[in-house]
Amino acid sequence: MRMTIQYVLISLAVALLSSSGCHKAEPPAPSQSVQVVAAAELPNDPADNAWQKVPEFEAKLLLQDLVEPRLMKASTEMVRVRALSNGSEVAFRLEWNAPSPNDMPGAAIFPDACAIQLPSRIEPSVPAPQMGEPGRPVEITYWRATWQATVNGRGDTIRDIYPNAAVDHYPFEAASLKKGSTAQLEMAARYAPARTLGNNMAGPRKTPVQDLIAEGPGTISPASNSESRGCGKRTPEGWAVVLIRRLPAGLTPTMPTQVAMAVWRGAEEEAGPRKMRTGWVPLTLEAKHE
Amino acid sequence: MARVYNWQIGRDMSYWYPESRPKRQFAAVFDINKCIACQTCTLACKTTWTSGKGQEYMLWNNVESKPYGCYPLAWDSKLLSMLGTQKWKGNAYDGRTIFEAAPAGKRVLGWRPDDLDYANPNVGEDDCTGVRIEQGASIQVPHLTWFFYLARICNHCTYPACLASCPRGSIYKRPEDGIVLIDQGRCRGYRECIQACPYKKTFFNPMTGTSEKCIACYPKFENGLQQQCFANCIGKIRMSGYISKPEDAKPENPIDYLVHIKKVALPLLPQLGLEPNVYYIPPLHSPPGFLQQMFGPRAEEALRVYRSAADDPDLSGLISLFGCTERVMPRWKRQDQTVAAFEENGDEIVRVPLREPIYIRKAYDEKYKIARVNCP
Repeated sequence: MRMTIQYVLISLAVALLSSSGCHKAEPPAPSQSVQVVAAAELPNDPADNAWQKVPEFEAKLLLQDLVEPRLMKASTEMVRVRALSNGSEVAFRLEWNAPSPNDMPGAAIFPDACAIQLPSRIEPSVPAPQMGEPGRPVEITYWRATWQATVNGRGDTIRDIYPNAAVDHYPFEAASLKKGSTAQLEMAARYAPARTLGNNMAGPRKTPVQDLIAEGPGTISPASNSESRGCGKRTPEGWAVVLIRRLPAGLTPTMPTQVAMAVWRGAEEEAGPRKMRTGWVPLTLEAKHE
Repeated sequence: MARVYNWQIGRDMSYWYPESRPKRQFAAVFDINKCIACQTCTLACKTTWTSGKGQEYMLWNNVESKPYGCYPLAWDSKLLSMLGTQKWKGNAYDGRTIFEAAPAGKRVLGWRPDDLDYANPNVGEDDCTGVRIEQGASIQVPHLTWFFYLARICNHCTYPACLASCPRGSIYKRPEDGIVLIDQGRCRGYRECIQACPYKKTFFNPMTGTSEKCIACYPKFENGLQQQCFANCIGKIRMSGYISKPEDAKPENPIDYLVHIKKVALPLLPQLGLEPNVYYIPPLHSPPGFLQQMFGPRAEEALRVYRSAADDPDLSGLISLFGCTERVMPRWKRQDQTVAAFEENGDEIVRVPLREPIYIRKAYDEKYKIARVNCP
């Protein structure tokens, strides 16, 4: 108990010293939880200066080694998290090191990616941190570097991946088919079954972000209404990504919840369950500024 | 892991899910000895199913020259090396399957090809070295003087490694016909299946972000028609249908007759434990050791049966039915000097003679005053 009191006193002293230096415009001291700071506007740009005023939480990443297929070799060590809210939406900024960034699609190329996870229902207790549990779903907002590159303007053809690729013929681009005609679109759909079935992995892509829900490992599926947005940018060391989603109903300054993060390193062929992830991290909502 | 029975290796084995056999199982027999590697099957598949964007490199059906040909590169030798030396005891497998040899953190022992491993199908694999090859060869390995063509599609395995490995359950085996499919609405492109399938017959589509594979032309098969790669086979090497469990084998079912009764057609790499459902009549004139590694311990016995076909009107008759109709042949029967295929209800589909009549034409056509040629 004496030790605990000492730590609290030291922390208070550090906090006071920190606050006394606010006018020097130094970034806030690292936070012990993800603090959602009230803001009038939510910057979509991870390089926006507004993010520098927000306390940063350094979340140590763990191997996903609970369910198979497991990740056996640790890669990304930590993800740095900041959060803002305008009262209706919450924006998370995730930043992590990725020495060999990967935003290309390919048969054997894996993309960099990240995600945040929140409980679907804000309650005193949270579901299992590993993708929720049956009857207690979690909501996941997922960003992928390949989608960001597509949204940024990279083409979506084989020659955008392999510039020297030679393609003889696509049947749905035959000269006899009028582009955009019903017959042409029907034929194109036949050769892209995932897209035809509405699988949102398949594009066409307007956002680098997906909303997903899960009730346990292996159950992830698209949310009925994907409305989140975001933006990822390269930093000198890796990626900084902003994810903006609806503020969970019931999340208030007096009813905190928990958030979890995950990072996939494409260079290590991480995908799906093979990922670095956190456990639940406390998430507190700052009272709205008057 | 559950315990399941795999008749091809003659024992129980470990598998991710309990045994659940379909009501009927799609199966096929390929007579390797008749394949000329014309790649018509490959193109029939390619134009039908994989002419879309992101599918450019995919060959759901491919034909490669053994021993050195492989698509993707080293699909077989790499996994066999990873698995290490294993043994059969008679017709029972005494080694480890790829499910039993799975390393920590994985459901299946496997590996994932690189992009370039798919880049050069068939290039250089027919070249050979040695006498009479004055210009040399592009493969700088001691190429043996024997080879054969191996046509490959998805094996629609009884115990699919792709299905076992998918953490999302996006791959399923149809209960009505045992065809293994990737749910294109559910797949999220994790590519565990590509790592797990030892035959490397699942492919990632970088444009749609999902994995795709041979669907055994199920829209045709559901309507009693054989697959595109079967119907278009120039060499008439293929027959598709349904296979029974060994104890339920029916002599009137052509697949059962070849696989279970005559035991002339064998699975590809049965030791891996998937109970694949494409069966091969092994090639003549290839080293027994190589054939045993590729088709299991019954390879020599199968060849002995195949060599006897000339004196076995039933076997030679059934082989004559390969490629004679696009329809699936649920039943067959030899009657004197003809052999016929029948629908389930007994309707005759096709009838062919055991031996085609021989016509001899003179080299010079007196009527038209022209020399005849033997090609169109």
